[in-house]
Amino acid sequence: MTERLLHVDSVTVRFGGLVALDNVSVDIARGTIHAVIGPNGAGKSTLLNVVTGLYRPSEGDVTFEEESLSGRAPHLITRQGIARTFQNTELFGEMTALDNVVVALDSRYACNGISAALHDGRWRASEAEARGEARELLALVGLSEDQDSAAAALPFGKQRRLEIARALATQPKLLLLDEPAAGLRAAEIEALNRVLLDLRTSRGLTILVIDHVMALVMAISDRISVLNFGRKIAEGVPEEVRASPEVIEAYLGKKAAHAFSA
Amino acid sequence: MLAQVLVSSITAGAVYALIALGFVLIYKGTGVVHFGYGDQVTFGAYLVLIAQALIGLPFWPAVVVALVASVLLGALIYGGLMWPLRNASLLAQIIASLAMGTVLREFVRAYMGPSAWPFPFLLSPAPISVFGILVVPANLAIVGVSLGVLALLFLLFERTFHGKAIMAACDNRIGASLIGVQVSMVFLAIWILSSVLATVAGVLVAPLLTLSPDMGLIGIKGFTAAVLGGFNSLPGAVIGGIVLGVLEALAGTYVSSALKDMISYGILIAVVLVRPQGLLGVLAMKKV
Amino acid sequence: MAGRALIVAIAVAAFFIAPHALAEFHLFQICLVAGTALVVLGLIVVTGFAGQISLAQAAFVALGGYGSAILAARWGIPLWAGVPIVSIGAFVVGFVLGQMTLRVSGHYLALVTLAVTAIVQIALIYSDNVTGGAAGMPVPAFEIFGLTLSTGAQLYYVIVPATAMLFLAVHHLNHSHYGRALAAIRQSETAAELMGLNVLRYKAAAFGASGFLGAFGGGLLAPLSTYLDPAQFGITQSVYFLAVAVVGGMMSPLGALVGSIVFVLLPDFLQAFQTYLGLVFALLLLGFIVLRPEGLAGLRLPKGIVAALPRLGGERR
Repeated sequence: MTERLLHVDSVTVRFGGLVALDNVSVDIARGTIHAVIGPNGAGKSTLLNVVTGLYRPSEGDVTFEEESLSGRAPHLITRQGIARTFQNTELFGEMTALDNVVVALDSRYACNGISAALHDGRWRASEAEARGEARELLALVGLSEDQDSAAAALPFGKQRRLEIARALATQPKLLLLDEPAAGLRAAEIEALNRVLLDLRTSRGLTILVIDHVMALVMAISDRISVLNFGRKIAEGVPEEVRASPEVIEAYLGKKAAHAFSA
Repeated sequence: MLAQVLVSSITAGAVYALIALGFVLIYKGTGVVHFGYGDQVTFGAYLVLIAQALIGLPFWPAVVVALVASVLLGALIYGGLMWPLRNASLLAQIIASLAMGTVLREFVRAYMGPSAWPFPFLLSPAPISVFGILVVPANLAIVGVSLGVLALLFLLFERTFHGKAIMAACDNRIGASLIGVQVSMVFLAIWILSSVLATVAGVLVAPLLTLSPDMGLIGIKGFTAAVLGGFNSLPGAVIGGIVLGVLEALAGTYVSSALKDMISYGILIAVVLVRPQGLLGVLAMKKV
Repeated sequence: MAGRALIVAIAVAAFFIAPHALAEFHLFQICLVAGTALVVLGLIVVTGFAGQISLAQAAFVALGGYGSAILAARWGIPLWAGVPIVSIGAFVVGFVLGQMTLRVSGHYLALVTLAVTAIVQIALIYSDNVTGGAAGMPVPAFEIFGLTLSTGAQLYYVIVPATAMLFLAVHHLNHSHYGRALAAIRQSETAAELMGLNVLRYKAAAFGASGFLGAFGGGLLAPLSTYLDPAQFGITQSVYFLAVAVVGGMMSPLGALVGSIVFVLLPDFLQAFQTYLGLVFALLLLGFIVLRPEGLAGLRLPKGIVAALPRLGGERR
């Protein structure tokens, strides 16, 4: 079933005099990987923040599964099925990799306060279940040996994957990835691509990814939207976008656009 | 009657303003909120007493000695406490400034006793009648000094290169040092300046409030004044002080004198919750 | 499991042997340490675990002490029931106070909690028909099962078990999803929110817990001192509890115990220097926050993190 999972409807975001997003509309179809690219400052992170509820749109609306998200608190948006990772990994550095994932599972598995205070059978059961699923998720992203390491001690590529495992723990229908490939070496990018494609096929997950790294974007996206100065300037399958003169101009300037189209 | 209340309240307001200026100076200059500043003001006044008692100096030379000592104190606080903690968490810095204030307060309590000391007025405490309203010259001195300090600091920050360097250093430490601003020297200067200001404030305020180790609790009022005016605004500190003084006096006269303080604290909580940037401050937005 | 059972057995044995082996004065000290540790535990939950600075602890202690004393003196509710009742009330007050963290944090939060302490103290002095005003009020005797407990040796049998049980409960909660949630919030509020944690509710709950524990400690300490004086519940006391937490170790319940032992026993060692006591406490606080902010009980971090790194308070400026 290819239906619209996320609908960003003519969203405008203003910070005082600065217009970060200008009348942007994007449709994300269920079960696809949709990339949003554009030069720095184009408004990509702002778009993510609007969808997750951290920013409120000055105009326009965001609907998820045909329900409006406007005004909803971020933690409730998460509970509805949208998860995200961060540009600067916001892992819980002092906690182990396993605990980082367990925290995200707690809203589903946690027992009541009395059981927690007594450390009784019910508490033991809920802890075991949570830890079990956390281990599965870590295995999914290839971090099984690192489960007891402090998150801040992991190498960068693994931290990124841990972020994804943590995001998956909230059982999202839509996963938002904020520059997941930034700073990764070629081999790490390939590993990441495999994980993301696998998530789409085996779990039917819908992914919205923001990035600059073409090795990721071109390899895995079903559709790409291009932003520049807060406006959408192109959209389509990777081949179309790659050849679009507007996109080339945005990235490389007018002369390059002429050169390419000639 | 109302006019008298207002005029008298400006005195209290000026006291708050003078202390608030110190808070805002340190915050604007170094980005740190010095929770122990009220105790530093008290300590400044005690320095004069100690100079008199220990060295046997008459009043004015003792004040000079106290001012010199407060330069050293400011340097010591920066070098021994704030600089080592410059990268520590906010919590650690708040606790550190609280601790500093407590050390000064307890030092004074241990060495000079817990009871109050009389402190001489700089100008006459006898009221004179101006257009039927009683005005006290000693209080006018406080108002005058507050405004004078404000003018000086305002000129420093807005008009001189040094002032702009300080603002730059506070906003962006790395950027400022890249363009040649020696950040640690800037911060040191601010801490010394505020320490001297604390002693000046102490000398003016002590005769009014009677000097005791707990006089530093007036710091909360200074804080409230700073928050009311906008914590990153120097004129705001003075305006906040005056406004607080007036509101307090009005509450004391028309509501209840015993609950006057409670109303001030209530104002603090209300301002922080409803309009944290105060009257003249600017709200900073956190970018994700 | 056998090791744990052994420790429990030893602890219980020690508990019953102590009153026969120690003098009244020492038993009184133990009660004082227990009550103080409970109060400081509350502070550790909100400021250490949740990373929210609170200078309102003295106000909660006052609520516990005065509240239970007034319930006993005016309405005949015995202290053994009054203390828990008032503590639950203090939880609610703390929870409401914690709602403010939606709007304020850091400096402003410190300021607001400071103001709360000041307001409560003024209220105590002002309501002299209920609280005895500036002169204070005597604490009614602690009566339970028809017995009157007034000495340290007698109150020991109530204060120490109550403290031990609450410590155990907090220790368990800290090793459950509550503790994980607070640790997550302390390290990255944004990420915690997006992992589905209702950050505001957890912070408010932490404040509530600090209220509950502070009031409970206050309620247990009141019959020890037999008299309530409003001068004991001001900003200086809030800072004192903070000092105990910092010196003991802000990040673990053990820190509350260690800190309380230090601060309660220190005056005995400084007999000749009574006047300098306050100065010594202040210098301890200053020294520790600069040189060893994780306190005596220190931090235990998962493998890989340099343990010497002071990590008090989570997010850096």
